Amino acid sequence: MTRARLAAATAAILTALLLQATLVAPLTAPFAVSLPAVLVAAVALVDGPAAGMSFGFVAGLMADLGSHHPAGVLALCWLGIGLLCGTFADRRSLRRDAVAAGIVCGLAGSAATLLLAMVHSGGPAWDAARYLVPTGLADAVLALVVLAIVRRMLRSDSLRAPHPVLTELAIGPRRG
Amino acid sequence: MRQLTRRQRVSAIVLAMLALSFLTLDLGGGGLREAHSGVRGALGSLYRGTDAVFGPARRWVEGLPSAGTNEAKIARLKQENAQLRGRLDARQTDQRTGTQLAKLQRAADGGNHVLLPTRVVALGPGQGFDWTVTVDVGRHDGVQAGQSVTDGAGLVGRVLHADSDSSVVLLAADPGSGVGVRDVRNSEVGLATGAGTGGFVFVPLNPDAVIKVGDHLSTGPTGSTSYVAGLSVGRVTAVRTSADGTVRATVVPTASPTAVDLIAVILEGNASQAGRAVLRPAR
Repeated sequence: MTRARLAAATAAILTALLLQATLVAPLTAPFAVSLPAVLVAAVALVDGPAAGMSFGFVAGLMADLGSHHPAGVLALCWLGIGLLCGTFADRRSLRRDAVAAGIVCGLAGSAATLLLAMVHSGGPAWDAARYLVPTGLADAVLALVVLAIVRRMLRSDSLRAPHPVLTELAIGPRRG
Repeated sequence: MRQLTRRQRVSAIVLAMLALSFLTLDLGGGGLREAHSGVRGALGSLYRGTDAVFGPARRWVEGLPSAGTNEAKIARLKQENAQLRGRLDARQTDQRTGTQLAKLQRAADGGNHVLLPTRVVALGPGQGFDWTVTVDVGRHDGVQAGQSVTDGAGLVGRVLHADSDSSVVLLAADPGSGVGVRDVRNSEVGLATGAGTGGFVFVPLNPDAVIKVGDHLSTGPTGSTSYVAGLSVGRVTAVRTSADGTVRATVVPTASPTAVDLIAVILEGNASQAGRAVLRPAR
C-alpha cells in the first residue's frame, strides 16, 4: 500500500464518519442510511475484495470505537460489505454497481441491527426488516455519487492500486 | 463475479475473527473502555468543528417540512415570552433558536433548575444502536454523567458520558432505556420504557392502578429515578390490559426524540463550575 493511498483512506474514513454524524444521519432519520458503508462498498467495487475488506474493517472499527455499542459490530458488517461488493462488482456499469452497493449496504445495516438486538439489547429486531427497503434505496442513490467520485480518485495515477509484478522464470531443460 | 484467492479467503476469516474478538472483549467487561473514550473524545471535537460548517444548512433543511406550523407557533410564543426573550441576545437573528432558549428559560423558572443550554452537534447511528446525540458541552462546562437533559418542555434524556468539550446524551426514548415516572393525575408510579419513535410504554407498579387516556406522566420522585424529578415525560394515548392483568399504556413523548436541536443539561450541585452562560431561575 502506497503512502498516498494510506493517507487518502484515512482522510476518506474520517470525512465519511464526520459527514455521517453531522449531516447524513440527522437528515435521513429514522432510516439507517450510512455514508461510510456506501464508501466501503464503492472502494470494494472499484478496487476489489482485498481493499474493500481491509477498508471496511478499519472504518467499521473506527465507527465502533467512537460509539457506545460494543466494538466489532460495524467492523464485522462493513467487512462483509467489502467482501461481497468486491466479489460481485460489475465494474462496467455505474448504475448496476450502485444498485449492488445499495442492496449490500441495506442488508449489512439490517445485519448490524439484528446483531445488536442479540448482543446489546438494541432496538426491536423488526426494525431491520421494516427499514430495509427504503434504506437500501437511499444507499443506492448515495452510491451513485460516491461511486463516481471513488472511481475517479482510485483511477488517478497517484491512488491507483499497485498491481503485482509478474516475474517470468526461465526454466531451463532439466538435466539428467 | 470475481473468485477470491486463497490469501483473500484467509484474510477475510482472520479479520472476521478479529472483529468477533473485539466484540467479545467489549461485551466481557469493558476491556476497550479507554479506546472507546479516546476515539469518542477525538471524534466529539471534530463533530463540533464539522457542525459549525454544515449545521446551519442542515437545520435549514430540517426546518423545511414544518416551516408553516413553526411560523404560527413562533408568533404565539414571541407574544407570550416577550419578557423572557428580552434577556436573550438582542442580536440573535435565528428565531428558532430564540424560541427554544425561551422555552428553556421557562423550564429553569418553573422547575427551579440551573440549565446549561447546548446544541446537538451529532447523532448516533440509530436503528438498533443506542439512541444517542452528541452535544457541544462537556466536563469543562460542569457536565457530568447521569445529569438530566431537557428541551424546556419535557425530558430528552440523560448524559451518558462527558468528555472535556463534548458529551453523549442517551435519549429517553432509546428502546433499551427505562424512566421511573409518576402519573400526575393519581400519583401512581411506574416504569416508562423507551419505544423509539413510538414514544414510551408505561407499566404502573401497581397492577390495579387506573390509567386513563390523557393522563400526563412526569419523572418520578427523587431517589427512585436517575432523572431530575418533575420533568414532563409524555401523555397517555392508549391503555390496554393484557390477559394476565398487566396494564400497559402507550405514551406520546413531550419532547420529540427525533427533532432535538437546542437542549439543556440540568446542572445539579456543580452549577458554579459551568464554563459558559447558564439559565438560572428568575428571582
